[in-house]
Amino acid sequence: MKKIFSATCIAACSGALLLAASISTASAAEWPTGDVRLVVPYAPGGTTDVLSRRVADLLKDALDTNVIVENRPGAGSTIGTGRLARGGRDADHTLLMASPGHTIGAAIYPDLAYDPVEDFVFIQNVIDIPNVMVVPASSPYQSVVEFIEAAQDKNMAFSHSGVGSSIHMSGELFKTLTGSQMTAVPFAGSGAALPALLGGDVDVSFENMPTVYSHIKSGDLRALAVTSAERSPYLPEVPTLSEIGEHNLDQFVTTAWFGLIAHNSFPEEGYEAMQAALDEVMERQEFLDFAEQLGAQPGQVEGEEFKQFVIDDLARWEEVAQQAGISQ
Amino acid sequence: MENLTEVLQLFLSIDNFIAIALGVVIGVTVGSIPGLTATMAVALALPFTFSMQPVAAILLLVGIYKGGMYGGSITAILIRTPGSPASACTLLDGYPMAQQGNAKKALKAALFSSVIADFISNIALIFFAAYLAKIALNFGAPEFFWLICFSLTIIISLASGSMVKGLLAALLGILLSLVGLDSVFGSQRLTFGNYNLMDSISFIPLLIGLFAIPEIIEFYRKKAIPHIKAKASGVGMTLAELKRCMKSIVRGSLIGVIIGAIPGTGATAAAFISYSDARRRSPNKANFGKGEVEGVAAAEAGNNGVAGATLIPLLSLGIPGDVITAIILGAFMVHGLTPGPIMFQENLSLIYALFLGIMFSSLILLVVGNAAIKYFSLIADIPKSILFPIVLMFCVYGAYAVNNMTFDIWLMLAFGVVGYLFNRTGIPAAPFLIGFILGPMFEDNLRRSLLISNGDMSIFVRGPITWFFIAITFGSIAFAIFRFFKDRNAKLISN
Repeated sequence: MKKIFSATCIAACSGALLLAASISTASAAEWPTGDVRLVVPYAPGGTTDVLSRRVADLLKDALDTNVIVENRPGAGSTIGTGRLARGGRDADHTLLMASPGHTIGAAIYPDLAYDPVEDFVFIQNVIDIPNVMVVPASSPYQSVVEFIEAAQDKNMAFSHSGVGSSIHMSGELFKTLTGSQMTAVPFAGSGAALPALLGGDVDVSFENMPTVYSHIKSGDLRALAVTSAERSPYLPEVPTLSEIGEHNLDQFVTTAWFGLIAHNSFPEEGYEAMQAALDEVMERQEFLDFAEQLGAQPGQVEGEEFKQFVIDDLARWEEVAQQAGISQ
Repeated sequence: MENLTEVLQLFLSIDNFIAIALGVVIGVTVGSIPGLTATMAVALALPFTFSMQPVAAILLLVGIYKGGMYGGSITAILIRTPGSPASACTLLDGYPMAQQGNAKKALKAALFSSVIADFISNIALIFFAAYLAKIALNFGAPEFFWLICFSLTIIISLASGSMVKGLLAALLGILLSLVGLDSVFGSQRLTFGNYNLMDSISFIPLLIGLFAIPEIIEFYRKKAIPHIKAKASGVGMTLAELKRCMKSIVRGSLIGVIIGAIPGTGATAAAFISYSDARRRSPNKANFGKGEVEGVAAAEAGNNGVAGATLIPLLSLGIPGDVITAIILGAFMVHGLTPGPIMFQENLSLIYALFLGIMFSSLILLVVGNAAIKYFSLIADIPKSILFPIVLMFCVYGAYAVNNMTFDIWLMLAFGVVGYLFNRTGIPAAPFLIGFILGPMFEDNLRRSLLISNGDMSIFVRGPITWFFIAITFGSIAFAIFRFFKDRNAKLISN
């Protein structure tokens, strides 16, 4: 029995060591003084994860230190973000890849333990992926206006990849602005949503560009519009929603944005070093090639401008969430 | 002919062979460590593939995927801790086999059926991709709904012993699967305001708790069990046994292929469907759950049959059926390739080179698996007083590693107590798992269908696929009722 007890003690200690080993330590003097952690608030394999790993890989050279990607998924992105907001010892070397989940999550989940703006510093917007309004090839609608007119009498089903995704919220925003009759149909991720769209079970979707690009090119889906402020160089013939100019659509500009943020105790020298490193990364050919593969564009804003962008994004989604009756 | 030379040129590179072998080794290793899944390994390997040739890059990821599918069964069999969700079904018979001193046989059965299923799945991918992809596209929410209904009827055959206890377990599983965010409105259900529960109850901590912890509790409750110093790992699988299991393996592989070709159901469900199908047909029905080698073979055939087939919707339609294929899609895109119909026109040679590599990976799996068994089966010879504390350590680490959340450790321990109570009261764990996995799919597809049709119920009978699944669902229930009365009559007569 004694033997069993001591073996259990050894096991428990080893378990604790394994846990301790995954928490890195660092102190701040000049930045970076040790490994940099990049928290991804989503599970491995998603767009945010793939993008973060690519950026981490390039940042490693620019910062001349290890950049360790750490997935902390859950509840939209609010669990990972919540952990960053709590700060802690290594907050001065921890970054987080924020995405629309940062603002939409704050708009739809009640009682978040953090303030999505005040608890963070906003370093730089890294990449923007537009959403595309697509209909199946068999759909009778050739333009956005035709679609809206039909949607005044007929209820349209739109697919999305999950409540609170940028795809879902774009659909709700479209519904609110144009007064169309639309029903959101949730799927577990874009992969599961695509067959319903290709097979014509749903009428429309506001999918991320990389998900639907090949299907647009093959003619299985028809792009009616892109949601970004300017036309996408990958689909130059497709108009933006804001240039339609009718049905309040001039206000419709959204992208799936990705940017690095940190805890608000992040040191000033770190902030500057990161901006310089990101500037370097975003000029690298590998990065531009990667963005091209995603049908994405390098981010446009940094620092205070990025912060203001997040504030505006948050305000907009709060309004849409309220009107659509999502959560809260 | 010119194409053939190009295909061979692309395929016959030393890099490809290294990539496949490395992938399978990583997959088997990672898959066998509880809490580290093939999904994680594929995601972590992705950045390393950026600088590789496209064929080698994809083959590395596919190798990890396939190795991981098999690797999960190793710890499921040896220490009742499923290395990955898909191997949960394998332990139902695998662990009893190991306890009876047949660990090596169980591991071999799992390996052989994995490799055969993998091979069949690859054949389906290469020759029937276009056809199966068409079925996948016709599989909308109402078709899914009936597929899930049919799958739920397998609870009947998994409820060994008492039907009431089986149904109770299934309902409890469904109840727990409701925890989390509502899929349509995003409101919280049964989370009691706890953020850690918002993304529903994490599956891997649940699995580890449910299966591994009760064994440990039982061990300490009974104090020291004298360890039998004999060669507990036993002998391998005989050819006669393999022959006996062959029908179940082939049937399980085909079930896996169909489930894999339809995006969104997954290997875990395939394993259980294959297992219950084998059990229903087997002459050794009574021995299932008590260490039946056919049970191990059927479960592993089901989950490995999925592996090649999930590449069908990915390659032919550009649709990733699960998280792993979504990552592989990412790898294609990094190399400037876009899976889908266009790739078959523009990069046909590359696709065929990939196919050759994927076929080759089955062979590598056999070699690597065999080597792994040689060493892993030694675990069965370790005295329990040394083994169990180590298992406990891995349980804690595994539960934590999935989401890097300490909450999951508590969850795992709580399910350990639940699993222990299940054991004591004779409530079977398999229906509980089926309820937990299929419950949300049932609900989501029901609601999705009605959202699409605007509340019109006729969507549930809209075409031949729905009719087919309605027929086999009710057929399956009718068969169970018939058998129930037949058994009762037989009992009455014998009394």
